Amino acid sequence: MDNDFFFALGPIVIGNSVLTTWGIMLVISLIAWLTTRRTQQLPKTLQTMAEVIVTAIDEAICEVAPEHGRQIMPFIASLWLFLIIANLVGLIPGLHSPTRDLSVTSALAVLVFFSVHWFGIRTLGWKRYLHHYLTPSPILLPFHIISEFTRTLALAIRLFGNMMSLEMAAMLILLVAGFLAPIPILMLHIIEALVQAYIFGMLALIYLAGAMQSQQLTTQEK
Amino acid sequence: MEFNSSTFILEIINFLILIWILQRLFYKPILAIIAKRKAFIDQSINDTKLLQQQAEEQRSLYESRQQLWEQEKQAALTALHQQIDIERRLKMEQLKADLILERTKLNVTTQHQQREFQQQAQLQALQNGAHFASLLLKQSAGPEVEARLVALLVNNLKTLPEACNLCLQMLGNKKTLNIKVTSVYPLAPEQHAQLEQQLTELINSPITLQYQQDAALIAGIRLDIGAWVLNANLQHELIGFTEIANELE
Repeated sequence: MDNDFFFALGPIVIGNSVLTTWGIMLVISLIAWLTTRRTQQLPKTLQTMAEVIVTAIDEAICEVAPEHGRQIMPFIASLWLFLIIANLVGLIPGLHSPTRDLSVTSALAVLVFFSVHWFGIRTLGWKRYLHHYLTPSPILLPFHIISEFTRTLALAIRLFGNMMSLEMAAMLILLVAGFLAPIPILMLHIIEALVQAYIFGMLALIYLAGAMQSQQLTTQEK
Repeated sequence: MEFNSSTFILEIINFLILIWILQRLFYKPILAIIAKRKAFIDQSINDTKLLQQQAEEQRSLYESRQQLWEQEKQAALTALHQQIDIERRLKMEQLKADLILERTKLNVTTQHQQREFQQQAQLQALQNGAHFASLLLKQSAGPEVEARLVALLVNNLKTLPEACNLCLQMLGNKKTLNIKVTSVYPLAPEQHAQLEQQLTELINSPITLQYQQDAALIAGIRLDIGAWVLNANLQHELIGFTEIANELE
């Protein structure tokens, strides 16, 4: 399954990354359904873990965007959960991380790009949202526009490059040094996967909060 | 690692579907149960605060009521102390009066007892004196004593009170008067003569003397002149002691 091409449905090519993503979606959905099918006031182990995860993510988001935390929470939380699992899937023999595919990371980055504008316009309105491109000076408009694209590109490339290089390095070490040497590399893989997921999600959160001017609104209200 | 547009589009769709699934199956239920629990905790806190407030009100009410009770208790205690003081004063006055009365009674009783004791002592002394005198007189009685008593009687006849003299003279207006002369020992002739002479001087009418002896007189003489009896004997004196003792008793 190391080939990106798997099968094609007419013009649509179903690659390895898409299949893995479907598997990840299936697992996440199954765990979510199992966790929340019988919620109780006095939670059991699985529900407690789910509550801890959701509460931690919610608090982290609300720290950055206090006014609109609940609004963007599903998007950011889904990014974090998906990226953590997608990055760690590469540890399973025979599977590859979908995030080592530039198409996947680009898709996520483009989603972040559009989400920024979507939530910004929804929160501030067209006029106020577009006006922020002219602040503090209209001279900075081109830089703002360039920044929008470059940061999206950076998001996609950063995650893709890190995950691809990580898997490639692990593969090379495995080929050269046998089966014992890759264990520390696998540990590094875990840390790197978590860090990259955190960075991608946090950057997306910061972009969204910036677009919605959440911090500014909170300061003004105070 | 080339860019694949199909993968790109499918990944966008996949991620949007994943967001929808997680929002429906994961975030909403978890956040709802957390909110529900938070509401329950808030409700519990509010209930607890309400209960605490009620408890505080009850406590303040109880404290005020307790203060009121304390004031009532103090007032009741004060009234009780005053009542006790009045009762004590009355009782003390009553006790003092009773003590004075008892003391008076005791004094009277003591005086009465002392008087009785004194009388008893006097009686005892008198009885002892009569007894000793009787013993002494019985032992010392004899003709000489009787002679002196006869002489004493003769002398006393000379110095009788005027009323006695009149009574004896009235006896003499009748016929011959029989006078009984009783003694323990037979009288000497000269004693007979002295008696007859003296009696004759007292009584104008003729008299006859009849002599007789009676040892009960112990010593001395007794003259029975009609209703009159003149005693000059020890028995009469001892009888006198006895009568005094009986009067004392």
